[in-house]
Amino acid sequence: MNAALLEVRDLNKAFGNVVTAKNLSFSLVDGTLTSIIGPNGAGKSTLINILSGSIPPDSGEILFQGQDITRYPIDRRVREGLCRSFQVANVFGHLSLFENIAIPVIALKHKATSFLSSVKKDLEVKQAVDKILDRIGLLDHSHVTASALSHGDRRLLEVGIALAAKPRLLFLDEPTAGMNPVERTRILKNIRDLSAEGEVTFVIVEHDMDVVFSLSERVIVLYRGKIIGDGTPEQVKSNPQVREVYLGEEVA
Amino acid sequence: MLESLVHVSLTGISAGMFIWLVASGLTLIFGVLRVLNFAHGSFYMLGAYLCYTCLRYMGVDFWLGVIIGPLIVCVVGYAMERYLLRQVYDLELPYQLLLTFAMVLIFDELVKMIWGAGSIGSPTVPGLSGSIQIAGRNFPVYNIFIMVVGPLVAIGLWAFLEKSWWGRLIRAAAADREMAAAIGVRVPALYTAVFVFGAWLSAVGGALAVPYVGLLTTGMGEAVIINAFVVVVIGGLGSLQGAFLGALFIGLLNSFGTRYIPALDMFLTFILMGVVLLWRPQGFFAGVDR
Amino acid sequence: MSRYSKYVIAAAVLAILLGIGLFSSRFILYLTMRVMILSIFAMGYNILFGRTGLLSFGHAAFFATGAYGAALWSMHVSSSHPLLGILTGIVAAAFLALIIGFFCVRHTEIYFSMLTLAFGMMVFSLMWNLRDITGGDDGLSGIVRGSISLGFFKIPIMKDSQFYFLVLFFFALSSLIIYRIYQSPFGLVLAGIRENHIRTEFAGLGVRRYRLAAFVVSGAFAGLAGALSLLLQSNVTPFSAHWSHSADPVLVSLMGGLQTFSGPFVGSILFVVLREFIERFTHNWMLWFGLILLGIILGFRGGIVGSTSQFLKRFSR
Repeated sequence: MNAALLEVRDLNKAFGNVVTAKNLSFSLVDGTLTSIIGPNGAGKSTLINILSGSIPPDSGEILFQGQDITRYPIDRRVREGLCRSFQVANVFGHLSLFENIAIPVIALKHKATSFLSSVKKDLEVKQAVDKILDRIGLLDHSHVTASALSHGDRRLLEVGIALAAKPRLLFLDEPTAGMNPVERTRILKNIRDLSAEGEVTFVIVEHDMDVVFSLSERVIVLYRGKIIGDGTPEQVKSNPQVREVYLGEEVA
Repeated sequence: MLESLVHVSLTGISAGMFIWLVASGLTLIFGVLRVLNFAHGSFYMLGAYLCYTCLRYMGVDFWLGVIIGPLIVCVVGYAMERYLLRQVYDLELPYQLLLTFAMVLIFDELVKMIWGAGSIGSPTVPGLSGSIQIAGRNFPVYNIFIMVVGPLVAIGLWAFLEKSWWGRLIRAAAADREMAAAIGVRVPALYTAVFVFGAWLSAVGGALAVPYVGLLTTGMGEAVIINAFVVVVIGGLGSLQGAFLGALFIGLLNSFGTRYIPALDMFLTFILMGVVLLWRPQGFFAGVDR
Repeated sequence: MSRYSKYVIAAAVLAILLGIGLFSSRFILYLTMRVMILSIFAMGYNILFGRTGLLSFGHAAFFATGAYGAALWSMHVSSSHPLLGILTGIVAAAFLALIIGFFCVRHTEIYFSMLTLAFGMMVFSLMWNLRDITGGDDGLSGIVRGSISLGFFKIPIMKDSQFYFLVLFFFALSSLIIYRIYQSPFGLVLAGIRENHIRTEFAGLGVRRYRLAAFVVSGAFAGLAGALSLLLQSNVTPFSAHWSHSADPVLVSLMGGLQTFSGPFVGSILFVVLREFIERFTHNWMLWFGLILLGIILGFRGGIVGSTSQFLKRFSR
């Protein structure tokens, strides 16, 4: 139970001359809401991409719940319980909200090969979908087409689709980007509540320091592909290296 | 034994050069416009038929035919890009493919209607007719000419794209069209120019094929485009080097296949394509993403 | 459109088709059978194109395989079990689709389309060259439409007026199966793949697998259509595998409406009628085909059913 949920060992990734991950090693433990911060170009997005399976690392290992998932394709990682949401809302545009959430639900319940039964009549799917929609506050909009949603609602849907896969570990890539204060409050509350429920461990990549420090129990600071800070928000705030990197960036 | 090997190889190389001319235009158009022009074989066919018409009905010299025929095809290509293809750039990819596919059907039928569905014999070229002795056997002089033209075109294209200002423009637009537009490149006009140039290359291939094939048929466009597709799969879609080497390879493969295993014929190229797809699905040379 | 009205329309169509079967002339029977066979081809194809978003230019190969499969069964095994011949055609087509699909679905969009065309023409050239089996460019002809033996009694299908009902049966069955597929979780997954295949991966689904499934299913229906066509015409030639025939289901689906269930059926009616009409005046059907396809792409992409439903929606505001 205290075994690491995710263990990253010596991850390396370079795009030509640009090093986005250098001997990166860290572990994540169940239930600790973690934020990953760092200035632009620090390698945060690349890290998420590598961990979720979009990009292969040059070298290193990724262990999830004790299993070596380094070579696993994306869909397999999701089925194991490692999921992510996207910074730019990546939804099923022409499908209804119900259908958007239904797809990961269908995958979860192993119904994707079922080709003669009707989705609409499937109570199990309907209940699961409605539950998620209710959670993100979009139950009333279940028949609306995804592309017709407001930006903030689309971000909510985005997180909803990721949650519907019932992940153990969920990476949220800048979940509050482009949201107005009302929407932001709503999504943060959702994350806080879900995190407290203990079924999902959140790792959030963020730029907004208020979000980071109010929400996180642990903060990891990336700079040029290396971890330069790792600890509670207080510890990180007072870390001289971190201050230099951020202050240095501001002055520059 | 050696003689026939040499001959089969030389035949293969010359055949490959025609495929190269078509594949070069196809690759260029794909690289810049991101469209796979199914009708590219039709430009080849039209180039051949038009050149033939110049020779046969206008009593024009072959070389003039090689100039005039493709020029007419340029006009056709211009019209197709400017008035048809341009309308669908903003649509999803399937519509673009379907449009070029519809043009294949239309061009094929038009050729049948104008020139008849049967095949037409083609004349020899004075000055390049006859054969010379290579490795103890007669080998057509015209084929040697083609074997020189092919690489010349390759070098010319390379020089053009790498060294000239226009070439740099084209490469820039191919790499990032939004950026190119942002710095003032008139992208629509560039697209049209590239499309017409690509069509021209293919049509020249067709015109040059007139003395080579001996017989013009309405199936020639179809045969060449399939070969061109196999070539770009092997060479990598978007890579000119890949297209050249791929065309060479396919020409050789077809030649050896016809000579030694005639029963398999075209099937050989497909087997090769299948093998490449399993081994190096993106082709052997880095091309363009899609 | 409410569920009730859908059933009413379906029942009406069925009734009309039955009526045609019982009361029309031979010519109308023949045309209607062609419509139904083409519909089966197009509906199956649309699972891959409209629903999953993959444009294949090689499906004529599966149609032809279905036809040759049924023909070879009739010629070499038994002409008195046409149902098994049809099954042979379907299985052969599905198997071929599995092999070709395996190579093609790992790629998307342009590569996929190009590869399907190339493989389709490969099949065409095979059918052309394997004279001993396929009869070469002459094809196979004179296939007998033997009666269906079911234990003690036989169902005759020799006459067109009898065969019609077998075609109708398969048409109705195919429509039902394909309708169910569209409503199913599998069908929704296919829509997801079309809309956003990356997100579908991140939902935990191996996209390649489902694309292959859609490919094989559409190939199987193409095979069924081919087998029925063989029995209707009593002959088959390699030309039915040619790429120009691969465009038939595409045009039909586009004419009727890509994203709709009934589009292919409506499109098929239009297609067969148009073709009959045009072929009376000219030999150059392909030219008109190309022009119509061009016109639809440039102007009328919703197809008839698509545009009609949009019009009705605006009307009911």
